[in-house]
Amino acid sequence: MDEEYDVIVLGTGLTECILSGIMSVNGKKVLHMDRNPYYGGESSSITPLEELYKRFQLLEGPPESMGRGRDWNVDLIPKFLMANGQLVKMLLYTEVTRYLDFKVVEGSFVYKGGKIYKVPSTETEALASNLMGMFEKRRFRKFLVFVANFDENDPKTFEGVDPQTTSMRDVYRKFDLGQDVIDFTGHALALYRTDDYLDQPCLETVNRIKLYSESLARYGKSPYLYPLYGLGELPQGFARLSAIYGGTYMLNKPVDDIIMENGKVVGVKSEGEVARCKQLICDPSYIPDRVRKAGQVIRIICILSHPIKNTNDANSCQIIIPQNQVNRKSDIYVCMISYAHNVAAQGKYIAIASTTVETTDPEKEVEPALELLEPIDQKFVAISDLYEPIDDGCESQVFCSCSYDATTHFETTCNDIKDIYKRMAGTAFDFENMKRKQNDVFGEAEQ
Amino acid sequence: MNPRKKVDLKLIIVGAIGVGKTSLLHQYVHKTFYEEYQTTLGASILSKIIILGDTTLKLQIWDTGGQERFRSMVSTFYKGSDGCILAFDVTDLESFEALDIWRGDVLAKIVPMEQSYPMVLLGNKIDLADRKVPQEVAQGWCREKDIPYFEVSAKNDINVVQAFEMLASRALSRYQSILENHLTESIKLSPDQSRSRCC
Repeated sequence: MDEEYDVIVLGTGLTECILSGIMSVNGKKVLHMDRNPYYGGESSSITPLEELYKRFQLLEGPPESMGRGRDWNVDLIPKFLMANGQLVKMLLYTEVTRYLDFKVVEGSFVYKGGKIYKVPSTETEALASNLMGMFEKRRFRKFLVFVANFDENDPKTFEGVDPQTTSMRDVYRKFDLGQDVIDFTGHALALYRTDDYLDQPCLETVNRIKLYSESLARYGKSPYLYPLYGLGELPQGFARLSAIYGGTYMLNKPVDDIIMENGKVVGVKSEGEVARCKQLICDPSYIPDRVRKAGQVIRIICILSHPIKNTNDANSCQIIIPQNQVNRKSDIYVCMISYAHNVAAQGKYIAIASTTVETTDPEKEVEPALELLEPIDQKFVAISDLYEPIDDGCESQVFCSCSYDATTHFETTCNDIKDIYKRMAGTAFDFENMKRKQNDVFGEAEQ
Repeated sequence: MNPRKKVDLKLIIVGAIGVGKTSLLHQYVHKTFYEEYQTTLGASILSKIIILGDTTLKLQIWDTGGQERFRSMVSTFYKGSDGCILAFDVTDLESFEALDIWRGDVLAKIVPMEQSYPMVLLGNKIDLADRKVPQEVAQGWCREKDIPYFEVSAKNDINVVQAFEMLASRALSRYQSILENHLTESIKLSPDQSRSRCC
């Protein structure tokens, strides 16, 4: 403290830690602080289990049947990584992947008519699936081939579709796909939470279906990856990257004030000391007067002693409940992981149900998901506000991240990172910006 | 020589800022010493291959990356580690007094197992004159905890190899007694773009 930095970062959520890593790799002098004694903020994995009970004010603490408290690492935000998604690219470019190990999520399921069906991961599974009829499958296959071949830079692949003007609804109509197939495609493959995309130009949807297919092809079984020891390992991996490029880390450090002069940030005051900076990055909780509320998410963390029924005893899986199956506007998701990922005691499973809140009784909204999980040993209910920044930071040089939304992947988080980077640096984000540089006398030995 | 077994071990080095952790690593791995001090920058993992008996060991040694300055270590640093080097500076009494905290941190963060976690203690900078921590005091601290103690100099390469190999040997013994491993399915991300399929 009492020093001058290029960038001060407040909060050690994933967005903040990735930006901190990028800034440090690019030679900026970075100070990164968090008021908590642990990394991760809202995106942390809580350990030991006693801390989770305390956080949710369950004062009696965990029963003995939960096993050793330190075997638990419980995510507050349920998400998986798309195997070919932007976060994986960030991990690879920064080589943060060397600090982490992953497992492929064992399956993805979609809810239809009160039952769950596996999202096919092979052609054999697709042919055998009851999700759609035989003739529908042939039309669907033609559609998927079209998507796979589609190249927005090559008009020969367009087949009469204009990526900038043809709506997705019209693309579905072109391939004569029925409502069941449309629902499946939009929610289980393109991972849209609502149906708003139907009347938008089709390019984004085509790219999202491509991302799903490419992610699935990478490892098989499902398109999703999950890190051993929980999602809380991700911000720490990037924090370590920042540190080895000179970033300074302070946990357990309260922020008393953010000091502005003439509408521009000049420093941060903590415990009587002032650290000066040219730019500030933070999560919404550090600047409550400069953010606006943009909705709510409910997440119910459930501890089980059994795999979820009809998942073929999977140790990990995702279940998507499309919104029109339960008369809602947004999909409900379940992400399940277990002791096999070093996040729970032996024989225990963690399933997290989540969705965007639409009514004044959000717990009732997720009941269709909870019914799939019974019997539940213990529930932890969290209803979180979603915040987004009021200003873009160009004048104030205060760059605030958005809250984590109800999606079960990190693509929106990575988009937020790229957008903040562009506003801070004045140039579009390029993954090459994340590559490690040799700017010191020490070098890492080859692995 | 054609040793039969190959084992990968992750070792970590911890201790107060400025005691010489990175210099010790570089003396061990690269046989070099840099006079000018700088908090660790860029270095994070060094590798060295050694042979102990009939086993080829690939040691992956993790440095703190400067996060020890404000006690902001990340848990990935500790997880999966097979052994720990505790380091202090014999000319800095505070760095010796901090060892209880460092050892406590390590034991609190590693994944607990039946076999006790191997550690060694290094008292660095014995090449300097103004010593503050007597050898007997350091040995006493170690004796009660069953931790081997080495007086070392990263600068003059005194006892560095012996210290690292003692830890590697203890870590290997523990590793061999924990051969059931439920992490066999985990994957390391790689840039390969093979396989192309559609659902």
